[in-house]
Amino acid sequence: MTERERLLRNLASYDFAVYDLHIYLDTHPNDTSASKALNEYMNKSDKLRAQFEEKFGPLTTSDKDGNRWSWIADPWPWDTQEG
Amino acid sequence: MWAYEKKLQYPVNIKQTNPALAKIIITQYGGPDGELGASLRYLSQRYSVPYPEIKAILTDIGTEELGHLEMVGTIVYQLTKNLTMDEVKKAGFGDYFVDHTSGVYPTAASGFPYTAASMQVKGDIITDLHEDLAAEQKARTTYDNILRFCDDHDVKDAIRFLRAREVVHYQRFGEALRIVTDKLDSKNFYAFNPEFDKCENKNKPPKS
Repeated sequence: MTERERLLRNLASYDFAVYDLHIYLDTHPNDTSASKALNEYMNKSDKLRAQFEEKFGPLTTSDKDGNRWSWIADPWPWDTQEG
Repeated sequence: MWAYEKKLQYPVNIKQTNPALAKIIITQYGGPDGELGASLRYLSQRYSVPYPEIKAILTDIGTEELGHLEMVGTIVYQLTKNLTMDEVKKAGFGDYFVDHTSGVYPTAASGFPYTAASMQVKGDIITDLHEDLAAEQKARTTYDNILRFCDDHDVKDAIRFLRAREVVHYQRFGEALRIVTDKLDSKNFYAFNPEFDKCENKNKPPKS
């Protein structure tokens, strides 16, 4: 597994926790322990996302570094990863 | 408004070409219980809903389904990458290939193109949530059936993730239905349409 794949896999796992807690809180808005866990995973995700984007380019169009080529560049999500 | 993220919800990395399996899995892209229909169903049902929790859950699950559509498209694309004509013929992929080559087209496994006729937006949130619960179960059954054809670990891993999400969405829609029925008053014992008949400042329920 490449460094890029490893970071992306870890980021996907944090984002999954964030998202799953988020939809749980749609139907349980008063659950404070779930909303605390959501914030924790959100912080972890933000940190890792910044680390990933610095090394491998932007994940969203809101990236401010202005490098258009790094947004356009392969791999796109459906491309197979080497290694 | 939506914001795109240049990553999959769950990683998909299939190394082994398998057009016969792609022809089966495409049904979750554009088939009657597929991710396109799921997303369109929830994102369309949400407009006329009078309750904020339900607007949120339909928006959020409808959005996740778009991510699943991208995962299924990725699985099909990777299973049909670098195909030779020999593989196309041997796998019985010719009837898909003649129309779409190795493009990813929203169709059922039977070849029937995507149709909104397999989903409903009834404008009655109780009716719609019952449909949504059924839809999640139908998608789960389809993923179970797909798993019967899979022996490649890379494919199974991604399909199992998608299957598990159907189970979680079923739970959330069950809670959503409970939230809605809790809001009904004692005069609406038979759960008539709370969107049209029972909202404050809206039409009165039909006289029985």
